[in-house]
Amino acid sequence: MSAGAAATACERLAVAYRLWAMPSSLPSSSTADPDLVARAAAGDERAMAGLYDRYGQVLYGVAYRIVGERADADEVVLEAFAQAWRDASKFEAGRGSVAGWLTMIARSRALDLARARSRRDRITTAAAGARPDAPLAMGEVRPDPSAAMEHAERRQEVRQALEALSAPQRQAIELAYYEGLSQSEIAERLEEPLGTIKTRIRLGMQKLRDALRPFYFEPGP
Amino acid sequence: MSHPAEPESPRDLAAAYALGALTPDEASRFEAFLAGSPEAQREVAEYREVAALLALGGEAVPSPDLRQRVLARVAATKSVPLRPTRGRGPTALWVALAASLIAVAGLGLNLRAARGELRDLRDLLSDTQGRLAAREATLNAIFEPGVQMYQLTASGNPEPGMQLFYDRQRERVIIHGFRLPQVPENRAYQLWFIRDGKPVPSVTFKPEADGHARVEQIPVPAGGDVSAAAVTVEPQSGSAQPTMPIFLVGPLKRS
Repeated sequence: MSAGAAATACERLAVAYRLWAMPSSLPSSSTADPDLVARAAAGDERAMAGLYDRYGQVLYGVAYRIVGERADADEVVLEAFAQAWRDASKFEAGRGSVAGWLTMIARSRALDLARARSRRDRITTAAAGARPDAPLAMGEVRPDPSAAMEHAERRQEVRQALEALSAPQRQAIELAYYEGLSQSEIAERLEEPLGTIKTRIRLGMQKLRDALRPFYFEPGP
Repeated sequence: MSHPAEPESPRDLAAAYALGALTPDEASRFEAFLAGSPEAQREVAEYREVAALLALGGEAVPSPDLRQRVLARVAATKSVPLRPTRGRGPTALWVALAASLIAVAGLGLNLRAARGELRDLRDLLSDTQGRLAAREATLNAIFEPGVQMYQLTASGNPEPGMQLFYDRQRERVIIHGFRLPQVPENRAYQLWFIRDGKPVPSVTFKPEADGHARVEQIPVPAGGDVSAAAVTVEPQSGSAQPTMPIFLVGPLKRS
């Protein structure tokens, strides 16, 4: 090393105890969802904490609604975030919102678990003792406060939009979303013509789209 | 009562597709159509947003510890657990077993559930054992006779720091950083040894989400008097010379 370089190194040592404040990169409520996913893709686990604070409760809510047991809902959420962490680099912002991506993962996991349990229960006789746990009325969660407020507003809008549907439309959509039934299976379950179910789902989803467009998690493409 | 099926346009299936209400065959056919229709892609994307909002229909609240468990699962999903450098003792095996059982109970897995769940469980068990063994190896290395601990310090809020365990017999160090701020994607922390007053580059590393970082088996440069160690932030691939102000520093005087 040259004498100049050594001198430079010594100068740097001389400032060793100087305050050196690196800006924290903790996710703030202003960090965009796709940025958090990009950071997760780069290996930043803290970004996953940010995503959990925003969407953990939403994912848990849908998981619990599908599987009906707290331990299973926990497992769904654990696996959903682990999958999101593994697949963060595959997320394409142009194809939809982060919320849509996460909820799709959690719903898919929950339905897989519910189906596996259903198969198991058909085989064993243990199903008789399996009753849904009571959901926690309150919990010491630490969601992103602004996200929690937005979720509460959206939840109200979603509830109203669902109530505005006809009961058969709402039933068909809920059977598809929360039970993972195909249109054919819904038709079979309800003993209705397939065409009728298709129409109910199409028209119901169109109504929901029109009512909920201002409340999407992220602006649409 | 049934009525004749109306002619169906592929686009009519966009809502059902986004809702996951098509059979696998129907979904495959629709995806073939979707690939060539940007308009249908936009429609599906919008219906997916509607489907995402339906998730808000579930109102149950997660337990307080779920966040920590999620972050632990994320951390455990990393693919490079440190390997042990020596065999595990019986105590460690029991600890590993107990910890693994606790992990199993904590996961709340129903062991009668699908085979996939069991596979996940085995992976987690193996990962937990690997981590415990690695911790034990680290402790053994730290408690070796002749290993001295040094502190590398800086100013900041919260104050970050680093413990450096120097094994002079083997000329190896272990570093354990804490409260380290995250660094940008293309940057990393780099350790330097100050030998005869000049910085000698060593390993680069990034902190975990909780601000901790641990690197083991770091060789100490030979051929001179190593009087101090320091840490800077450098490009991810490391630098030959420090390019940023020193972040952490501490003397390595022999006691």
